[in-house]
Amino acid sequence: MKIETIRQTLKNKSLKKEFALLTNLTNGESEIFFPGNNLSGMFSKYSEEIEKIFNLNKSGIIENSEIFVQTYKNPIKVIVVGAVDISIYLIDFAKNLNFEIIIIDPRGYFASKDKFPDTKIINKWPNEAFDEIETNSKTALVTLTHDSKIDDPALQYALKNKFFYIGALGSKKTHEKRCSRLMEAGFKKIELEKINGPIGIKLGGKSPSEIALSIISQLVSEKYKN
Amino acid sequence: MINFPEKKIFEEVDNWIKNNKKVSLATVIQTWGSSPLGIGSRMVVNEDGNFLGSVSGGCIEAKVVEECISLMKNKKICKKIDFNVSNENAWEIGLACGGDISIYIEEIKQ
Repeated sequence: MKIETIRQTLKNKSLKKEFALLTNLTNGESEIFFPGNNLSGMFSKYSEEIEKIFNLNKSGIIENSEIFVQTYKNPIKVIVVGAVDISIYLIDFAKNLNFEIIIIDPRGYFASKDKFPDTKIINKWPNEAFDEIETNSKTALVTLTHDSKIDDPALQYALKNKFFYIGALGSKKTHEKRCSRLMEAGFKKIELEKINGPIGIKLGGKSPSEIALSIISQLVSEKYKN
Repeated sequence: MINFPEKKIFEEVDNWIKNNKKVSLATVIQTWGSSPLGIGSRMVVNEDGNFLGSVSGGCIEAKVVEECISLMKNKKICKKIDFNVSNENAWEIGLACGGDISIYIEEIKQ
């Protein structure tokens, strides 16, 4: 592999591009694959197989070849509603677990840049904030404000757009009340089962960092379910 | 800022190369059974024997460092090394998890 390929990989990751790093195991030659782009030399013979592995978000050697493919996809986007203490710890954990966190909080005094350096914060109500974020079925939502005025619209958006993970902070009782509100808003009971409430896996901890750990653990576990 | 798994080691490779060090990259390219780390796990080694990253749970790193240094000394381009529990070296190397892994080592070219 050439040092240039490694530099390109770092650059592409910082530009949030999705690509695959290819190595010809017989001679150490390397190339970067972008979906839709043509490949050179030996690699071009395996374009189809490379694209297939890339689309499956897998890495490995192409069958009956000496071509190794390492796929680099963007991290799962986790939208956190509420710039609270738990969010600070969530960001800390997420950094090394390959999740991208975006914070929504209309309360400007909560979501200050000092508390959340290097994090995208949207100081708007969820319905307006979602206009600024590209979401899909791989996006996750975590609501942490406890305030139904802020949390509920975000939950409704995530349910309608079939997010891969939805979690809402609050006790069982709070969650029951939340579900009745959402049913009044027109959601079916079965749809509401998608919401992890109370959020997180049961660790027993109560401090903000412990709750953040239980939430991030649930996200990791959900990520590998499929 | 999100650290993708290889971020730190690729940045270190860049540093070493800028400091005129010879550097090798080791990559897990195949696994069978219960290997400790997955395909695509990487480790980098420089000519002084400094290394960063990992290709197992610490079981075979010493051997991989040795192999990388010898690759650079002998001016070879690349090499595939298989580690498995059934071979005699396994106890010495200590792949205690019972899995088999294939590691590809290569010198980083300027």
